Amino acid sequence: MALLLKTTRFVESQIDNFLDMVSDSATTFQLAIQDYLAGRIDQFEERLTSIRELEHRADDLRVSIERFLYERTLIPENRGDVLAILENTDEVIDNIKDSLVQFSIEMPEIPPELNDLWIQTTKASVAAVEQLVFAVRSFFRDLSAVNNYIHKVYFFEREADQIGEKLRRQIFALDIELSRKSQLRFFAIHIEMISDAAQDVCDRLAIYTIKRQL
Amino acid sequence: MFFFYLLSGLFLGWSLGANDTGNIFGPAIETRMLRFKSAALIASIFITLGAVFEGSGPSGTLGKLGSVDALGGAFTVALAAALTIFLIVRTRIPVSTSQTIVGSIIAWNVFSGRLTDYRSILTIASSWVVAFVLSGVIAALLFFMVRPLVNRSKLHLLKQDLVVRYGLVVVGAFGAYSLGANNIANVVGVFVPVSPFKDIFIGSHFVLTGVQQLYLLGALSIVVGIYTYSHKVMRTVGKDLFQLSPITALIALLAEAIVLFLFASKGLYNLLLSLGLPTIPLVPVSSTQVIVGAVVGIGLAKGGKNIRYNILGKISLAWVTAPVLAFLISFATLFVMQNVFELKVQEETSYIFDWHTIIKIVDDGFDSAALSTVNGRVFSSEQDIYNELSEEGLLSRDEIMKIIKIAELYRLKVEMKKLTVSGMNRRFDSQELQVLSKYEGKSYRHKWQLKKQLIQHDEFKRYAVARTEREKNHNRMLDGKLEVLYRSFRTVEGKK
Repeated sequence: MALLLKTTRFVESQIDNFLDMVSDSATTFQLAIQDYLAGRIDQFEERLTSIRELEHRADDLRVSIERFLYERTLIPENRGDVLAILENTDEVIDNIKDSLVQFSIEMPEIPPELNDLWIQTTKASVAAVEQLVFAVRSFFRDLSAVNNYIHKVYFFEREADQIGEKLRRQIFALDIELSRKSQLRFFAIHIEMISDAAQDVCDRLAIYTIKRQL
Repeated sequence: MFFFYLLSGLFLGWSLGANDTGNIFGPAIETRMLRFKSAALIASIFITLGAVFEGSGPSGTLGKLGSVDALGGAFTVALAAALTIFLIVRTRIPVSTSQTIVGSIIAWNVFSGRLTDYRSILTIASSWVVAFVLSGVIAALLFFMVRPLVNRSKLHLLKQDLVVRYGLVVVGAFGAYSLGANNIANVVGVFVPVSPFKDIFIGSHFVLTGVQQLYLLGALSIVVGIYTYSHKVMRTVGKDLFQLSPITALIALLAEAIVLFLFASKGLYNLLLSLGLPTIPLVPVSSTQVIVGAVVGIGLAKGGKNIRYNILGKISLAWVTAPVLAFLISFATLFVMQNVFELKVQEETSYIFDWHTIIKIVDDGFDSAALSTVNGRVFSSEQDIYNELSEEGLLSRDEIMKIIKIAELYRLKVEMKKLTVSGMNRRFDSQELQVLSKYEGKSYRHKWQLKKQLIQHDEFKRYAVARTEREKNHNRMLDGKLEVLYRSFRTVEGKK
């Protein structure tokens, strides 16, 4: 039983670390986009490197948590749900990384008049991810608070969609080549997809919360 | 020879282990919170402890229902109950050991022409209903208490899991202890009067009495049942009836353990008595009914939507079929044992209405006019006496049963050595033993004759009219002691 207590504490801290990484990735993503739009490319690349590292470590942590939950038969009733949450949340970091990698590869030229909307879309998506992290933390500690956070995730996801749509409309209203418009649209959609991924996790989380309620 | 006959009791113990352990640990195992091996180990240890140290409480009530007086009868009754359980367990439906043994004993009463005490049946059967309802109510109350606690505690899911695991182990151990205490009487209770075990002294303070050794043997057979067959029944309680979560499994188990303990603990009984509170009869209740009650209680507390009523119906059907099937199997087996194997399944008891008994009956306030049809006659069956006396219509069933008890020929000879050899002397204090030794060598034809002599002494004082619960309990305890003396001092001629 002492071993079980030790394992429990260890896995608990691993889950917390994992969620910290998701939160850090989202914040770093916002900073990276701001750097890119301001033309601080070196700083942008540094942020990309740190996100790559976070993504890699988050993957390792998730696998380690999975292994512990199954090997030590911890939370047998909920471990399937917990693993699904962790795997889906991990996909959010993957999305964040993929988006930045695409920036790094293609280096799209963003007209300065789009900067404001671009940052607004990014902020909305990042806010959705941050609220998701709160929701997941509450799932483990305080079930009654989960729905509040889920509600906020949905709000920021809608916000990201709306501002993203504005952004795309503005892109296509610009007097630039169609190929460039198409490229910029791709990047705008990629940012919106981050909040979509956060929403997907919340859809599952809402059901798992009902399942866990006494 | 005793050990051969005891085999059927051990078979019954095996059935109880196979069937009833599922009621304790089924939910914990089905929610994968405990491994079968751990659960089986905890159950084995604590059922044994409960049986040995607190098992004697409920056996008295069972003894009142029907006192199987021949070893062959005890063998057959236990065998029939075990067969019934074995048959029903194969269908993966949990069945009540208490109900089957009661059905079996009633069959012995009918087969041997004894009158069944309806009051005891009522006490036992009503306690089954009460136990079922009580465990449902306790489980629902616990659920309503635990839910806000869990919500407010903000414990991490993993820590909560750990707490529930510890809880399942501790409460499971308590439940197993209570099960052993409450149900061991079902397993080897019928063998208590014929047990040959003598007291074993371990060190200078600890004594393992003969009855405790018998209970220990019964408990070991339960352990074998746990390890060989219990895994299969666990699923029905743990999963099929209602999908329990680990926390609700813990609540159900706690409610079950509390109810089993309430109906088994002599300590609690005496405590309630000393506080002037109403007591709970010490009756072997069905752990199956108790856990199903708890699960239904939780299900209803959660809104009653997810209870699988068809499974509940199947389990409830077993509550009716189990005693009936046990009765039929017991009756048929008794018939076969007596007539094919020439096994003595009952002592041939006589009932004599001579002037001694008639005077006693009249002294006890019965109308002598009602006895005209039996006066001076000797009967060999309680049923025959009942038929004669009830024809007149002057006496109630209860009164006739009391008259039968007076007329029963039961030869006794006070021999202190018998008490010492069986270890039963430990049930009496030194003053009581001193009084008994005054009557050394004296013989009696009826139980009441010995009782009449003894209650003259302060050491065996009996309240003529017990008004308070305390006085009633005093009388009950005295009757228990007298019953020990009757069994111990019965002479061989008296059995013919």
